[in-house]
Amino acid sequence: MEAKRYWNPYVAGALLGLTLLATFLVAGQGLGATALPKRTLALAAHEVAPAWTEANPSIGGYVADGQNPLRNWLVVEVIGVVIGGFLGAMSAGRFHVKVEKGPRISTRSRLRYALGGGVVMGIAAALARGCTSGQALSGGAMLATGSWAFMMMVFAGGYAFAYLVRRQWI
Amino acid sequence: MSTAIFPLAIASEEVRLLTAIGLGFLFGFSLERAGFGNARKLAAQFYLYDMTVFKVMFTAILVAMVGLYTLAGLGLADLSLMWINPTFMWAQVIGGFLFGAGFIMSGLCPGTSVVSAASGRIDAVVTFLGIFIGTAVFALVVDFVPGVEALYNGGSMGVSVIPEILSVSTPLFMLGVVIVAGAAFVGAEKVESIFQRKYGMVEHAPKVTRRTPRLKFAVAGSLALVAVFAAFVPPPNVDLPARPMETIEPLDLAELIIAGDPDLKILDFRTVAGQAGSNAIPGSCSCGTDVDKAAETAASVPPGTKIVIYDEFGIWNEVPGSWPESVEYRYVRGGYAAWETDVRTAAETTGHTLAERERIERQNQISAFFTGAAAAQSSSVAAPPPAMPMGGGAKKKKAGGC
Repeated sequence: MEAKRYWNPYVAGALLGLTLLATFLVAGQGLGATALPKRTLALAAHEVAPAWTEANPSIGGYVADGQNPLRNWLVVEVIGVVIGGFLGAMSAGRFHVKVEKGPRISTRSRLRYALGGGVVMGIAAALARGCTSGQALSGGAMLATGSWAFMMMVFAGGYAFAYLVRRQWI
Repeated sequence: MSTAIFPLAIASEEVRLLTAIGLGFLFGFSLERAGFGNARKLAAQFYLYDMTVFKVMFTAILVAMVGLYTLAGLGLADLSLMWINPTFMWAQVIGGFLFGAGFIMSGLCPGTSVVSAASGRIDAVVTFLGIFIGTAVFALVVDFVPGVEALYNGGSMGVSVIPEILSVSTPLFMLGVVIVAGAAFVGAEKVESIFQRKYGMVEHAPKVTRRTPRLKFAVAGSLALVAVFAAFVPPPNVDLPARPMETIEPLDLAELIIAGDPDLKILDFRTVAGQAGSNAIPGSCSCGTDVDKAAETAASVPPGTKIVIYDEFGIWNEVPGSWPESVEYRYVRGGYAAWETDVRTAAETTGHTLAERERIERQNQISAFFTGAAAAQSSSVAAPPPAMPMGGGAKKKKAGGC
């Protein structure tokens, strides 16, 4: 089946913006993505080393109150993202099990880059207390100072390293 | 009590989490439709031949920002009840740069890797696995490597928003963001079309011969946002300087009243105590000391109206800056006290010159008119209109009270 076109970026952006606005109004906070890995990690670490986890500056806050860290708005929201992404891809004929890569790179190399990039982003998002969803998009719309600084630096970092990994994409 | 209805107070935890599913669905769906399930399309942002990341992200930020702060400005949303990302400047600047490096390596960010994985992409699943590992690495590093915790908490500014930092009003700052983003959208369309010739398009993206005129869309969308925005922003409340006001002699005012000048409107600015013990100038309506109420009255009368104001002693001699300029203003010289002595008192009968005797004659006629002795002396003038308590000054005009 031939895949449908992507939406006009301004239309997709407007729907995304309205979704974010609704999230502010309903949940009193923005959207996010890294809450799921962080809270899952907190849950697992708490099983292994409760005292260490509770004292940890990065993930201690999620287990301090004795609640299940996964019983959280942002974690449930990511489940919604999976459903939305899946149904979106299916309905547009874009669901394919494959590796997305540029023409000049092997699948093996691409997956190494993907893993490495994931690790770097995991560290960076934990350090910055959020990712492109929680900081740049949500904090940006709320005009939070640190979120705008984060967003500018994401673009700066991306352009700074783009040349080094160009073989992967173009 | 706050009148804000947002954020919604949802009592049931289950219902609250159900909203997370629904809004998460919309989040994932709109990311997928934008093309963010495709790592190549996202990475293209950094090679300039597909600026979709920038366009989608900033359109979303503009829409949510204008919506949120407009509702807050109208008192419908309470920002103090919402979670706003606290600022840790050093952690976010260094974290952001590092994040950008990871972004271009993987071609995905955490949110889009979820969407891409849900679209079947194996590289996205691997990226998400990497994010788990990175999160664990940081949790260890922040505990065991000296200095990292200081960086993690570095540059703490609490909850800080940019308009506060810059000391500009939020509407003004947002207007600036909308204008800059609009210009950047137009620029992004141009840059994109230049670099597309070099690298070609990402598969599944719209063909080079576009059906949707996106440049026009960018311009029109930006203008529409500015227009929507302008409609919501209240006009700046500038304090205009007061203007000097000219006087009117009590006797001249009295003659205007007798002549029944239709353009005349008299506003009584005496304090309540001042009004209590005495009469008022006929046909005047009482404003108390409410300048804003009087400004409304002044704004509602047709241009060319003569507004005469008076207080106890003629102290008020300036036109407030907020009053419209299309109307002529006068204040009664000497105020109501002068009205009493000049108009409501018969003059001495001794006059030496002709002019003086004429003035005395005139004052006597007028005072007779206003004190009710008119019937005895002259039947040619009608009885004075009674003083109106509120809003009845000029019945013939639509212009309401004070």
